[in-house]
Amino acid sequence: MPQATAPLPLTVISGYLGAGKTTLVNHLLRHAAGRRLMVLVNDFGDLPIDADLIEREDGDMLTLANGCVCCSMGGDFYNALVDVLDMPERPDHLVIEASGVARPARIANIARAEPDLALDGVVTLVDAENVAAQLADDLVADSVTDQIAAADLLLVSKADLVSPHDLAALKDRLNAINPAPPVMTCISGAVPVDAVLGGIAPSQDAKPSPPHDHEHEEAYARWSHETSAPFDSDKLQQALTAFPDTVLRVKGIVFVTGRHGPLAIHRVGRRITIADAPSSTDRTSRLVAIGHRSGFDPALLTRLVDGALATPGPQRPDSTQDKPPS
Amino acid sequence: MTETKIFAARKIVTMDANQPEATHVAVRDGRILAVGAHADVSGWTDAAVDDRFADKVLMPGFVEGHCHLMAGGMWRFLYVGFQDRVDPDGKHWQGVGTIEAVLDRMKTADAELPEDEPLVAWGFDPIFLMDRRPDKRDFDTVSATRPIAVMHSNFHLMTVNSAALKLANYTADLDVDGIARDADGEPNGELQEVAAMFPVMRRLGIDFRALGRSPAGVTAFGQVCKRAGVTTAADLINDLPDEDVDELLRITARDDYPIRLASMLNAMTQTAVETGERALALQERSTDKLILGGVKIVTDGSIQGFTARLRWPGYYNGASNGIWNVAPEQLNGIVAELLSKGVPMHIHVNGDEAIAVAIDAVEAGLRRHAAPDHRTVLQHCQMADRAQFEKMKALGLCVNLFANHIFYFGDQHAALTIGPDRARRMDACRTALDLGVPMTIHSDAPVTPLGPLTTAWAAVNRLTASGRVLGEAERISVPEALHAITLGAAYSLHMDDRVGSVEVGKFADFTVLDDDPLGVDAGALRDIPVWGTVLGGDVHPV
Repeated sequence: MPQATAPLPLTVISGYLGAGKTTLVNHLLRHAAGRRLMVLVNDFGDLPIDADLIEREDGDMLTLANGCVCCSMGGDFYNALVDVLDMPERPDHLVIEASGVARPARIANIARAEPDLALDGVVTLVDAENVAAQLADDLVADSVTDQIAAADLLLVSKADLVSPHDLAALKDRLNAINPAPPVMTCISGAVPVDAVLGGIAPSQDAKPSPPHDHEHEEAYARWSHETSAPFDSDKLQQALTAFPDTVLRVKGIVFVTGRHGPLAIHRVGRRITIADAPSSTDRTSRLVAIGHRSGFDPALLTRLVDGALATPGPQRPDSTQDKPPS
Repeated sequence: MTETKIFAARKIVTMDANQPEATHVAVRDGRILAVGAHADVSGWTDAAVDDRFADKVLMPGFVEGHCHLMAGGMWRFLYVGFQDRVDPDGKHWQGVGTIEAVLDRMKTADAELPEDEPLVAWGFDPIFLMDRRPDKRDFDTVSATRPIAVMHSNFHLMTVNSAALKLANYTADLDVDGIARDADGEPNGELQEVAAMFPVMRRLGIDFRALGRSPAGVTAFGQVCKRAGVTTAADLINDLPDEDVDELLRITARDDYPIRLASMLNAMTQTAVETGERALALQERSTDKLILGGVKIVTDGSIQGFTARLRWPGYYNGASNGIWNVAPEQLNGIVAELLSKGVPMHIHVNGDEAIAVAIDAVEAGLRRHAAPDHRTVLQHCQMADRAQFEKMKALGLCVNLFANHIFYFGDQHAALTIGPDRARRMDACRTALDLGVPMTIHSDAPVTPLGPLTTAWAAVNRLTASGRVLGEAERISVPEALHAITLGAAYSLHMDDRVGSVEVGKFADFTVLDDDPLGVDAGALRDIPVWGTVLGGDVHPV
């Protein structure tokens, strides 16, 4: 039965057959960095999890040593979802690996409707090598197009197998189908976990980012910002909207004038959600962002956010930094 | 124990060409010992003649080749459909034709229900309630406090009352596809598709899968079958975990369980290799009354839900093409693997594009693996054209056509989904038979009511709910329709060696009718009362 707890963030991983969904799921499970992820897959027979990472396997459920759980949905996705929501101890974040022909918008719609779920985002993987053929195949072109159109973030996989010229052309083609989402590229699912999964807003006792794989981290940059001055909620929304497309995700806990409790803000791609956050004694607003290093301008983000304070003016930023890759 | 019985009947319609009619059948050890005139059977036994069926007509027990166990458990909820139905306990539920009648029935149920239980109804079909589309305000008059959910007959929509909307926290500012709104922008109670229905179903504990899995549901399903004269029924998708198989074995083994149940493994929740291995392992657990080892693959969705995959020119109303549940290339892999292992397959295909993809998958699989007598069944197969039936014949495919659709949805298909011309050739029983494709017909219960005589009636008459004939050229004769609901269905389940006709050696499974289906007017086929059944020689009156 429904519980009076914070809604469970849900990320949908979509993409046609062979786009690398399983590889990405495996990467997320290995780099969950303290989050207890629950991943619903169609079938974990194909998931290449090393035996030493598996704590126990119990029918449809695979529990990893790092606290993450991978669960096979069996015949009924909705029952699997009910089971997750009714768990006595819910995970921190739910990831659904949609089937290769699933319409991710339909799954995302459940997270919008269900009060105990919060849609974190739809991440669609696109196979750099084969997507052109898929879009030319009448049988599946509409499914693939639908997956691209529903995405908050697009992740082009097998990026190393095509030329930079073809990759640029592919990005244009994807943005012609769906202009909104930033396009990331990856090889073997290697992307920063905090770009793919939002969900957990930064908190006071947030641990420093765990070590990332260097080869893919070099392409990304982070920004964080704190202030004790309250924001104007409309202006903040405008500021977030104005963040450039190099920014993949923004999340934060913020205080605004006219409300006592904090708000959780969340931007994935171009979609912004603002919701109540659990109350806190600390009245500091905190924001973090991750984006493509190329063209990432932390000073611009700070300037935009400062302009959204309730009483703008020459504010001394409490702290702003562009974290170096760790 | 060897007990021998002789049943005498007014007439036995055997479906055996060597002896189409008989009056006596002798039964030993649950099987048919002899059939014919009294003199043909008395040489085997001096058992007294049981003449309780002296004024009845016996047929081979009807075989329903495509339905779902849920058809029994649904009756836990209140029936508010437009058509008459009979529940597992034999109660006749009259169809409700006006909003007032629906609400009256619900008010009566509300008064009898414990205070803390939600009121859940099913079978609702507002298109038949002509005047207007009911919404939450109507159901608020049943109860302002008790959550109410009314499932529509297509299972894709539900209408709920204000108390249920509140439970799911549905408010005007919620931006979700599928939550219908009134003129003021408030949710009006109609919820479309699973995403919008999910929060309400979860909070009211509506779980269709559980309805099919629970012992009470499986037992009720047996009763629903018996009342329709069905002695063998195929449950056309089941995850079949070991604990469910144990339960099914236990329930079906009971002497009072009145049917043989064939249950098809869901082939889409594991790899093709795993599916094949699991199906073969399940086959080993089969008994005379629980038949395992076949699998179900679902390719597209439904035509009336606009989720079936159509070839050009697509949907009549311009809706975009439907969805795949498995990608075509995945289907190729599954089909090839299962053909190589000899696992019987039932492939759900509604639209003609899905049919083409399934035919191609079987053809490609057969080029790689010799699969003698595979009898892969295209289930529903509603939009197949003549060329596709030719391919089916050439490839050894069978077809199970959804004849009930002509009656229940035919008007909508002509007006809305696929247009008049393609609607006329839907569920093309005549073409299938003319081209020699092994053919059966089905109800897909609980989508339409279980009742092989009604399904036969639909294939013979092709009348729609509005009373017009849809596709006269695809009509079949009464004997052909009776073959489809007995031997035809048995063949599609690889069970024609055991059931489907009254022949020596087969199970003594009979449908007992009050009248002769070959003697009544074709339009009255569905009105023949079912007296009961005989299963393995044991008599089960309704």
